[in-house]
Amino acid sequence: MEKENSNPNDEKLSALLREARSTPSLPPRFQEGVWRRIEESEIPATARMNWLEAMVSWALRPKFALTAAVVLVAAGSLAGAREGNHAAHQDAQTRYVTSVAPNSLR
Amino acid sequence: MKRSLLILIIAVLAGSALFAGSYFMSRRVCETCTGKSTDSLDWLRQEFQLSDAEMARMHELHDGYLPKCGAMCAQIAAKKQELDTALAGATNISADAKQKLTELAILRSQCQAQMLQHFIEVSQAMPPEQGRRYLVEMERLTVGAHEQTEQSMSEHAGHEHMHGGN
Repeated sequence: MEKENSNPNDEKLSALLREARSTPSLPPRFQEGVWRRIEESEIPATARMNWLEAMVSWALRPKFALTAAVVLVAAGSLAGAREGNHAAHQDAQTRYVTSVAPNSLR
Repeated sequence: MKRSLLILIIAVLAGSALFAGSYFMSRRVCETCTGKSTDSLDWLRQEFQLSDAEMARMHELHDGYLPKCGAMCAQIAAKKQELDTALAGATNISADAKQKLTELAILRSQCQAQMLQHFIEVSQAMPPEQGRRYLVEMERLTVGAHEQTEQSMSEHAGHEHMHGGN
């Protein structure tokens, strides 16, 4: 009994509430702005990928790979030779000092 | 994207391995080639660019100095042994131990003076500029090293005194 009485009132109330609720209007060119934002967020990732792929394809060229290998070997050899000479020179100095100056005097 | 990154990482690793490999190999070869000489005077030739005639004179001076140095070292070792005996089991420094310490110090200073005299003779047998450089370097490596130790110890003692005063 009570249910039958209350339902029509509820429907009326709901309809009144729906009418009373105001739907905010979207700002002008809203849709265009959303699409622009989506595009902007995609651009850096694409650019980064292109840059990396370009670099890899450049590095994998036989000419570049060979040049880089030669440069690295030459640089490593030069640095090693320099360090080796320095170490040998230090050893020679230590040998001489040890031969003329007893440990107790140094 | 992932594939490119992987290739790049592998390339960087391969490059690093190539550089490191050639560095260590070259270093090893250089050390072996230049360090295989057993002549203790090699450093003089390398550092002061001495001629064969000058090196012959260096060998002469060196060979003349070594027996004197050896004799002095033997005296120092014997005196040190005497000092160790005098100090063994003692809770105080006895008069005998003090005497041995003084004698040891005198022997060491005589040895040092003899060594410096040798450096002067060697420097005089070199061209003037190299001779000056040799003398400065040898004083730095021998007497200078001792001075550095003393200086650091006196600085340390100074700090301790300051802490003690506070």
